[in-house]
Amino acid sequence: MTQEAAHSTKQSNSSNLPLLPTTVVGSYSVPEWLERLKTDYYLHRISPAHLAEIHDVAIKAAIKDQEQAGIDVVSDGELRRDNDIDYLLARIPGVSIRDTNKSYYYDYYDAEVPEPLPTGDTSTLGLVDDFVFTRSQTDRPIKFSFTGPFSLSRRIRNSAYSDRADLVRSLAHALNAEARELVAAGATRLQIDEPFLAGYPDDAGLAIDAINLVTKDVEADWALHVCYGNRYARPSWEGHYDFLFPAVLDADVGTLVLEFARKGYGDLSLFKRYPWERRLGLGVVDVKSEDVETADVVASRIRRALDVVPAERLIVNPDCGLRHLPAFVARAKLKAMVAGAAAVRQELSVPSKPARAEPSAPTLTEES
Amino acid sequence: MLVEVRPTKKLRGARALDLTACLSPIVDALCEDALDLSRLRLVCDWVQYKNNFRDVIDVRPILTPAARNGGNAEPDEDNLEIAVDLRRCADTNLADVVRNVLARRGEPEGLERVYLEDWSTGTTSRIWEFNSLYWRFLGVWEKATGRLYEQALPGGESDARNIAGVHELIKEMFVVWDDLAAHNALPDELYVIELGVGNGNQAKTWLDEFAKLDAEHGAEYYRRLHYMMCDYSEHVLALARENVSDHAAHVSSFALDATTPMTALGFLRYKVFLVYISNVYDNLPTEDVAQIGGHTYRAEIRAYVAKADAERIAEEFGLEPGKLVGAIDKLLSLGPELLVDALSAQFPDVTRAAAFWMAVWDALKLEERYAPMSGLDLYEIAPGVNGEMLRPLLERHGDVRMQVSNGAIASFVDTLPLLHPYGRLQCHDIFVTDPHQYRTGFLGPGKYDGSIVNWVNGPLLQHIGRRKGFDVGYAPFAHRSGTNIVTLTAQVRD
Repeated sequence: MTQEAAHSTKQSNSSNLPLLPTTVVGSYSVPEWLERLKTDYYLHRISPAHLAEIHDVAIKAAIKDQEQAGIDVVSDGELRRDNDIDYLLARIPGVSIRDTNKSYYYDYYDAEVPEPLPTGDTSTLGLVDDFVFTRSQTDRPIKFSFTGPFSLSRRIRNSAYSDRADLVRSLAHALNAEARELVAAGATRLQIDEPFLAGYPDDAGLAIDAINLVTKDVEADWALHVCYGNRYARPSWEGHYDFLFPAVLDADVGTLVLEFARKGYGDLSLFKRYPWERRLGLGVVDVKSEDVETADVVASRIRRALDVVPAERLIVNPDCGLRHLPAFVARAKLKAMVAGAAAVRQELSVPSKPARAEPSAPTLTEES
Repeated sequence: MLVEVRPTKKLRGARALDLTACLSPIVDALCEDALDLSRLRLVCDWVQYKNNFRDVIDVRPILTPAARNGGNAEPDEDNLEIAVDLRRCADTNLADVVRNVLARRGEPEGLERVYLEDWSTGTTSRIWEFNSLYWRFLGVWEKATGRLYEQALPGGESDARNIAGVHELIKEMFVVWDDLAAHNALPDELYVIELGVGNGNQAKTWLDEFAKLDAEHGAEYYRRLHYMMCDYSEHVLALARENVSDHAAHVSSFALDATTPMTALGFLRYKVFLVYISNVYDNLPTEDVAQIGGHTYRAEIRAYVAKADAERIAEEFGLEPGKLVGAIDKLLSLGPELLVDALSAQFPDVTRAAAFWMAVWDALKLEERYAPMSGLDLYEIAPGVNGEMLRPLLERHGDVRMQVSNGAIASFVDTLPLLHPYGRLQCHDIFVTDPHQYRTGFLGPGKYDGSIVNWVNGPLLQHIGRRKGFDVGYAPFAHRSGTNIVTLTAQVRD
């Protein structure tokens, strides 16, 4: 079986998108007032019910911002999440978090796995509810992302497994079960984020093996996002994407979503050196800078990528999540990104085709 | 009436302060007045700086918020804070002073004081022009006083030139670099920045020791090292360059404002392994905020010279009393050297101009009042940092007044983006490390020679650092005992 054929099921659902579709990586601008309210929740000043209502409103606004910017594939902005790690760890059976107080919502918990994670636990992580709510709020295609098993494992004190790889694989099984639930609920585009992988380049093989456990038998359009970290709008590591190859060629995903705008586009050469015949999610706006790129800059970045990846396999996105940017900057960057993609699309003489509405999941009313 | 006595340590021991003797005449005098005592705040400090901006007793009006949005806050006759400097109480007829200051409340302004400015928020006060003048014309000041600025520091030297501390720091960097090199992740060029390089003594010590330790270590890091010396003063940068001439190939120098290092060093974003700062933050502009009765206020200040001092100085330098402020304006805008050209009759040479500068500086005082804040989110601590960062400190510690350390925070947040993911910011300064210190001590402003000193709000820096993804820790300065100097270390967390 060719590589292309092997991953064909992971690339479905793209036919209703224009050439050079635009999307986000996942997170969206978290307003300062929302950070304060989230922190108030962790300080037990507001109830879970109030926080959930606040999140609903914020997510609606985030989706609206993306729609108005012209983004083809939108997300919920991950606005319910405290951070990329704990939102999942706190829900995975067998992960122990003794102190759930936080003085700042974005802080990481001190998580431990004291015993091997239970197998056969049928409880879900609750991501389906998040997806269903998002589905009810937009007709646009939705990307739903979650942090991958390797990165989750790096924030866990492991007292259970003599081989850390077993912890990674156990987490992958838990995520696989959740992915199945998401697809059953109507999710078609799933993305695994591995923000810690660049800090442990020697573990790329392990991380890819675990990703394949997450995607196993889950019929979705899978993407893998690897960046150099975006904690507090700073890179956690520096380096090059060489470490991903050739291991990532074995990843059972249809799209590789990478950070370029901040680092430069030198690593595009990797796509000449290695036979990656799937899609590339090209980072075209720097999420660690509040300077708004122009559409021309975005377009020139896309053109550069077209030297190594054909337009049919190029997706246009920011470098990473937009969570640390002020909302007005995030909006401006998305608009520039959409305009830049449109300009290149026009050059390619392909009529722009608007994103078609996807069938909605059962609509949730405000009260439900 | 609320009486707050902050220097509680002074109330015990063989030389304990006689608080009753201080407070009794003050309270007696207050009782003679028709003031609503139930709303009065009487706060007592021990102002340890012999040269400072305070009178023995100051009255600080607490303004009332405007009734409508956009209106001005208004004075409330009975809402006052009376501030007492306990250190000077023994030499003063306190009852008379209190009667005098209370009596002045109803008088037209300017009878007893010559004001140099209108009310300001603190960082925009003219006192910072004096501070800037000191660093710009440090050579003139040093010549006039006959001593170098380092000699004016407590202990007579900067803590920066401590070899044990330098060794420790360099060796820790070698460990990080060795590890990065092992993973092929060490950049070709290794950047170190010193903000506030002064005369370059620290830089020279650091570079000498680095070269020596690197030779022993054998990794040839010195060959890749770039040491960036930064200072506000061109005068001291020139001295510093001369001082480190043995390392000229590895050193660059930049004249920059410590509050905005990225303006000159933006090309080093995420590339710097060490930013070293010694005794800079305490000298940068600051404002004070206060929590009073559950409301948040900003301390507004107004620089003045007492009328008697103004007349004395004017007479000494042959100025008409009404021309004193104009002469001060010229001094601040032109500097002492050009003042000689501008007012040659009064200042025939730089020595005389410097004497005028010192006399005015010595007499300079600050009047204060509290202006209500209309929302912490509307208060800009520093570019990109709004007042919400103060909330945890203000909410958790009851009625408290503290420095915001605006300049230090501006510098700090504009420095952090320079740091490599494995980089470190190390800063020696006088940091408040526990908010409780604001209840027990006077932490500035004071006068250090011709400059201003304020303790730096460490908990606020720590909080802001956390929100920027950095662990900020404080430790007593490890290489000299009996010092107030604290070492701040900031490194990427998580």
